[in-house]
Amino acid sequence: MTALAPIRLSSRVRKNQGVLVVAVLLVILLIFGAFISDRFRTTSNILNIFEQSTGLALVSLGQTLAILTGGIDLSVGSMISLLSTLTSGLIAGKVSMVPPVAIGILLLGLLIGICNGLLIIWLRVHPLIVTLGMSAVLQGIVLLYSLGPAGSVPPSFNFLAYGKVLGLPIGAVFILVLFLLVALFLRYARLGRYIYAVGDDEVGARLMGLPRARVMLTVYGFSGFCCGLAAIYLTSRFSVGQPYTGLNYTLASITPVVVGGTLLSGGKGGVFGTLLGVYLISLLNNVLNFMDVSMHYQLIAQGLIVIAAVSVYVEKKKRV
Amino acid sequence: MVDVSQARGAEGPAISMKSRLSSYALPIFLIALIAVSGIVSPAFLSTSNISNMLLQVAPLGIVVIGQAFVIILRGLDLSVSSVMATAAVIATGFSGQNSDVLSILLIAVGIGIATGLVNGWLVTKRSVSPFLATLATMIVLQGFRFAYTQGAPSGNVPPLFRLIGSSTWHGVPYNMMLLVVLAVVFGVVLAKSRFGREVYITGGNPTTARLLGINADRVTIIGYVISGALAAIAGLVLSGYVGIVDNWVGRGFELDSIVAAVMGGISLSGGQGGILGGLFGAAILVVVFNAVLLFGLPVQLQIIIKGMVIVLAAAFYVRRRI
Repeated sequence: MTALAPIRLSSRVRKNQGVLVVAVLLVILLIFGAFISDRFRTTSNILNIFEQSTGLALVSLGQTLAILTGGIDLSVGSMISLLSTLTSGLIAGKVSMVPPVAIGILLLGLLIGICNGLLIIWLRVHPLIVTLGMSAVLQGIVLLYSLGPAGSVPPSFNFLAYGKVLGLPIGAVFILVLFLLVALFLRYARLGRYIYAVGDDEVGARLMGLPRARVMLTVYGFSGFCCGLAAIYLTSRFSVGQPYTGLNYTLASITPVVVGGTLLSGGKGGVFGTLLGVYLISLLNNVLNFMDVSMHYQLIAQGLIVIAAVSVYVEKKKRV
Repeated sequence: MVDVSQARGAEGPAISMKSRLSSYALPIFLIALIAVSGIVSPAFLSTSNISNMLLQVAPLGIVVIGQAFVIILRGLDLSVSSVMATAAVIATGFSGQNSDVLSILLIAVGIGIATGLVNGWLVTKRSVSPFLATLATMIVLQGFRFAYTQGAPSGNVPPLFRLIGSSTWHGVPYNMMLLVVLAVVFGVVLAKSRFGREVYITGGNPTTARLLGINADRVTIIGYVISGALAAIAGLVLSGYVGIVDNWVGRGFELDSIVAAVMGGISLSGGQGGILGGLFGAAILVVVFNAVLLFGLPVQLQIIIKGMVIVLAAAFYVRRRI
């Protein structure tokens, strides 16, 4: 596998550059926030930021892998809507239903993701189109199932969102462990390195006989699985799932990935940059809240950040 | 300087056999669809329903014309829906009298053109993927619109827009006439003019375009500008159709216009297809949505069908290309 070495080296240089930019921005925002409000500096506010970022972090993790292969997963928003509505709808307030439904939701997420992967492989259509279509289909299905909030969850279910381990939000700890595992997988597992190879040079990867089908199934399956996790987390946080829970997550999940230095053309970047990107977005929204800036300007700020980020990391290769 | 018209041969833009074939397939499919719908539900062929469908085709069709330019240039434009809603908000931002029509038109189209310029600049000069560039401008424009309206736009649409958007002349909607005029003008530009040929060559292979001396960046930017300007006009027409304006006029048009274009044989890999195909795609989409409602099927099925159509249509054209 010596042929893969140069790819990894260049990707590490790129990755570190992105991570550095975001880290500096994070520090600036932290200092800025501390000046703006006393309440910003409290431990509970900082923990609050971690807590709020969990859902976005989960979706963005799956999105990062999809984008690393040069693809994209636009079905995440509808998938979260469907899965979270099903979660509270099927649990229907019964404690005994929690374990089977949770497992079922994770499996369903995995299955939908694998469907995405299979369609991409079989139809040879760009992932953008496949997942866009899947997104519409899933949104239609969830609206057929329920037009509003469905079912309920037992009160103890909100432990996932608001519970603490060693004083830290349970979701935040889970996120750190999960990101670390995926980072190790990308760096040391053979399949993890294939993800970079396929994204960096698809034709080259095919000529080398790398298993593109396996890479695609893994990546989109994992993205679906992450949506399952996010759906369960969000249902726990809001106590109920509804057909538009995930509406904003499709676009929101792409922002931290590109801000964190992963190129949309694939092959360069990593999950560590994405995690910092997630914290940057959450911190930014938090600071803007303290500044009493309305939601409208938060939208503008997010859009401008995307434009700035993608203009900084210039993509030299194919365009979507 | 190579003469571009010669590069394509005497028969005009070299549209491949397949898209020639599909230019017959689409009308046949549309007629079959209408016939089947009419048999299943006679109300489908009633004058009022047909007139209603024609009214709905025009705004989508106008957006599709612009989207066609962008997609042939290997891009796509997600910001159209945001431009439409912004134009609609501007339409009600004045006194609501006909005297303001010209200023509304100028401002709305100006915003559309500015959005197109930003999109084109990001895509060509900064090498941002069209998806992300137009997504970002969509979000920024949406934020400005919300800040401007404080979340709740109010006011009236000038009577002239109401007339164009929702009235008919002997059964023919005025907005359909507008669509036909725009389609003919831009169709001729795309199929017959030098610029049109440059669009096809740039979309088919940007490197070839540069070697031929075509300013590919300029062509691409103009493509996005056309899309932005037409989206603004479509937004004004749609505001006349719905009469009241909220922040989400045109929501879903970004997806619908791409679906219509892809269905009409405009390949997302660029350099293929034409405006007529895209308009047939738009018509098929409107007929399908209308049929879903008339048959008493759940509205949600519209969304599911849209999703399946976009994937299958893309697969249909991709498969035959490779």
